[in-house]
Amino acid sequence: MSEPVEPLPQGPPALRLHRELAAIWATGPGLQRLAAVNHSVIGMRMMITSFTFFAIAGVLGMLTRVQLATPNAAFMDPETYNQVFTMHGSMMLFLFAIPMVESFAVYLTPKILGTRDFAFPRLTAYGYWCYLFGGTILTVSLIAGVAPNSGWFMYTPLSSNVYTPGINADVWLLGVTFVEISALSLAVEIVVSILKVRAPGMSLDRMPIFGWYILVTALMMVVAFPPLILGSILLEIERAFGLPFFDPTRGGDPLLWQHLFWLFGHPDVYIIFLPMAGALSTIIPVFAGRPLVGYRAIVVAIVALAFLSFGIWVHHMFTVGIPHLALAFFSAGSAIVAAPTAVQIFAWLATLAHGKPRWSVPMLYVFGFFFIFVMGGLTGVMLAMVPFDWQAHDTYFVVAHMHYVVAGALAFPMLAAFYYWLPLLTGRTAVHRLSVPAFWLVFVGFNLTFFMMHLTGLLGMPRRIYTYQGNEGWNWLNLLSSVGGFVMTIGFALVVIDLFVQLRYGRRVRRNPWGAATLEWAMSIPPAPYAFASIPHLTRSDAIAPDDLALSLARGEGYLGFTRNGWQETLGVNMTTGEPEQLIVLPQPTYLPLFTALATAAAVLTLLFKFYLLALVVALVTAGMFVVSANRAGLARDFGPMPVGQGVNLPPHTEVAEAPAWLALICTLVADGTLFTSLLFGTFYLWIAAPNWPAAITPEPSRMLALVAVATLVVAAAAARGSLRAVATGSRARGWIGLAVLALLAAIAAAVGQIVGVAPHPREHALGATAAALLGYVALHAGIGLLFLVSNFLRIGAGFIASRRVLDLRLTRLWLDYTLVTGVIAMGLVLALPALVTMLAARP
Amino acid sequence: MSERPISARRLWWLAAGFAVWCSALVALYALHAIGCAFAWSSGSLRLGLAVVLFVHLIVIGWMWRDITRAAADPDFGPTGTFLHWTVTWTLITALVATAINFGPPLLLATCI
Repeated sequence: MSEPVEPLPQGPPALRLHRELAAIWATGPGLQRLAAVNHSVIGMRMMITSFTFFAIAGVLGMLTRVQLATPNAAFMDPETYNQVFTMHGSMMLFLFAIPMVESFAVYLTPKILGTRDFAFPRLTAYGYWCYLFGGTILTVSLIAGVAPNSGWFMYTPLSSNVYTPGINADVWLLGVTFVEISALSLAVEIVVSILKVRAPGMSLDRMPIFGWYILVTALMMVVAFPPLILGSILLEIERAFGLPFFDPTRGGDPLLWQHLFWLFGHPDVYIIFLPMAGALSTIIPVFAGRPLVGYRAIVVAIVALAFLSFGIWVHHMFTVGIPHLALAFFSAGSAIVAAPTAVQIFAWLATLAHGKPRWSVPMLYVFGFFFIFVMGGLTGVMLAMVPFDWQAHDTYFVVAHMHYVVAGALAFPMLAAFYYWLPLLTGRTAVHRLSVPAFWLVFVGFNLTFFMMHLTGLLGMPRRIYTYQGNEGWNWLNLLSSVGGFVMTIGFALVVIDLFVQLRYGRRVRRNPWGAATLEWAMSIPPAPYAFASIPHLTRSDAIAPDDLALSLARGEGYLGFTRNGWQETLGVNMTTGEPEQLIVLPQPTYLPLFTALATAAAVLTLLFKFYLLALVVALVTAGMFVVSANRAGLARDFGPMPVGQGVNLPPHTEVAEAPAWLALICTLVADGTLFTSLLFGTFYLWIAAPNWPAAITPEPSRMLALVAVATLVVAAAAARGSLRAVATGSRARGWIGLAVLALLAAIAAAVGQIVGVAPHPREHALGATAAALLGYVALHAGIGLLFLVSNFLRIGAGFIASRRVLDLRLTRLWLDYTLVTGVIAMGLVLALPALVTMLAARP
Repeated sequence: MSERPISARRLWWLAAGFAVWCSALVALYALHAIGCAFAWSSGSLRLGLAVVLFVHLIVIGWMWRDITRAAADPDFGPTGTFLHWTVTWTLITALVATAINFGPPLLLATCI
């Protein structure tokens, strides 16, 4: 689908430009498809992959409904049932919902923002391959009968070694973490691209609301995923090496897992919802025939929602024994979070009320969304009230609520978006005789399935039981739920048939069939690999008219309406005003993302099968591949300002201070800092909440080694500054780099020396385990700093770093500064542990 | 394009109000946990929590006043006006959220 089916707009200039650009941007045939880095190709692959996992997870859901349709069913034994429902939830959340919203973002965002691609196409490809391989590991485990079986949130101690001795839990911990690497890398990619790579003139106040939603969602992902990644790492370390972070008999606490999981889990609901709300905010104005009401209020609402969603994780833990006063913080927060959601709902209703709505298939799903989401939202407010939650906790009422807010609020806008943007992907329109009955089947089936669960829940049916006696009064409700599940599945099957019929027999449509005012319609459909033949310039006075704009852009009348040096070029802009600032030269297709993801998968598999030494080797190979990937990135000489069209000259991204990579590293450090903060939280949490801490041996950390570690990190940070200054003034920097390498090696040795001497032994008590984790964090970051330095050394030699191209050295300086700051905090906490334990002894 | 460029740092202000709300949540939750763990008296724990909440409300209020006093600079054009409006309202929203979220719970029994 990379070749446009629509005749290109008039005249030879457009056709010539199309041919020249297609030759540069197109993904090659055959095996070269594996080297694709283009956002359209990767976005499409992600969509197909996520819907494949959706189908698998859907089948698993159907199996659970078959099992529960009648009492005392022998369709599945308890162990199989445990694996099936665990994988249903895990796949729906981690392999479908999050990647699906990301696939929408990957495919659509550059087009809606009027640019040719994301800032880091190779990262997009790496993220996709990690997702595919991680998802495949989880799926294969199901076929092999060793799938995770502790529920989709893997509560300890059930998921600990004692109760899950096989590899089932390891599959989840490693597989899901692998998929999260993908999600996190794509989130960084999306944040940077939305802020830096837009159409010139697209200031923040003119950015389509979809851009705001995706930006806020990606920022939430940057902060939400690290706590779960940390939790997964700690639990895997406990399972593999016996460090007792969650074992209460040795100073750990199972509730720490719940905190870390839900610090991710609750924002995740909004991470799934917000992009879909972005789609609704795009679709509703088009069908209402008027601009969105309350654009600014919606921006404020989604910022508020993003933050508030992080502050209510404990409402999943109301029954664990937290004092009432603390519960009330989270109860109130859970009710307040409804307010910014309501702002959006009312904005959509006002847009419809003030416009002249026309009904089409996407609007049917919008209607379905309103119904479903209000239902789910109201039961959410009910569950936010502590007394009600205590009654309904762990019953099917919660399952019903969860499916209304996560499944319904995802599925209905997703299908609205699917029907809305499908003509962009296929150049054809849906077959209404199929799509309308499909909607009604999905809508009726959904409500029949999940509404009944409210009732079974209120009648006391616990979630996750594999069967029931038949005298509880749940029989007919369960049977109706199961019938509804099948009706819904038939509806989804009809949607799939509709898709294939549309691809084959759908009526061809002109560009912009819905009369939208966003830029993704100002291109040929299906889109060419370069998206825009030339990049639009938005002026404040004009509304976007895709039909008129498309012709002029295809003729090359915007920015970059030409080719140069065979480069894939796009523009970088000022984050707020959208003024063009830099020419971004993007990398060509390459197999490196695939090979790097394969190496990462090998590391995961060797960990899974407990070949730890081999895993270390493979992890080093993976790190080496990142260095190799960076080695040829950028431009190996100075170009100075170059013409980009419209009489504007801009420097390449390698010669400016505000290059996308700078912002990307800041985002990465925000994610990393969140992980570090979660580790600090874990340490303090265990200190104050876990049993057996006062009885632990008082640790005696080596002050000398701590001092050496901090001093060497200071030297490394100073040497990074020295190398930057040297290159900027045209001097040699290799001496500074060598000094930084030596300093980091010394810091690693000091940190490892401290780990070796940790008391109590990390396997004996969580006190020693947390100290080892903090010290390991410092050693790991110093190690990554070495990779930065090696890369600097190689790239200076290859000519990619010079006095006007010092970005690499600035990145290294930033990394080493971060390592120093976190190193000081970690060492300080390790040194403070004896005092903290002594304080506990004085507790009444 | 005649607008004066707005520093990217200005964007951090969009998150400023709710960053203080986050700080209030972390500080109150931590202080409450420590107070209960070390069996502080109900009165002194409640007083400590109230002081922490009050300080956070003052900080957000001060930020709101600061932003409101500095009217949107016309040199920054519509983008500046947009940012000024959204920052102001995120601060107001954060102030209200902080007061409602953390104020009434302080009336409850402290460590039961």
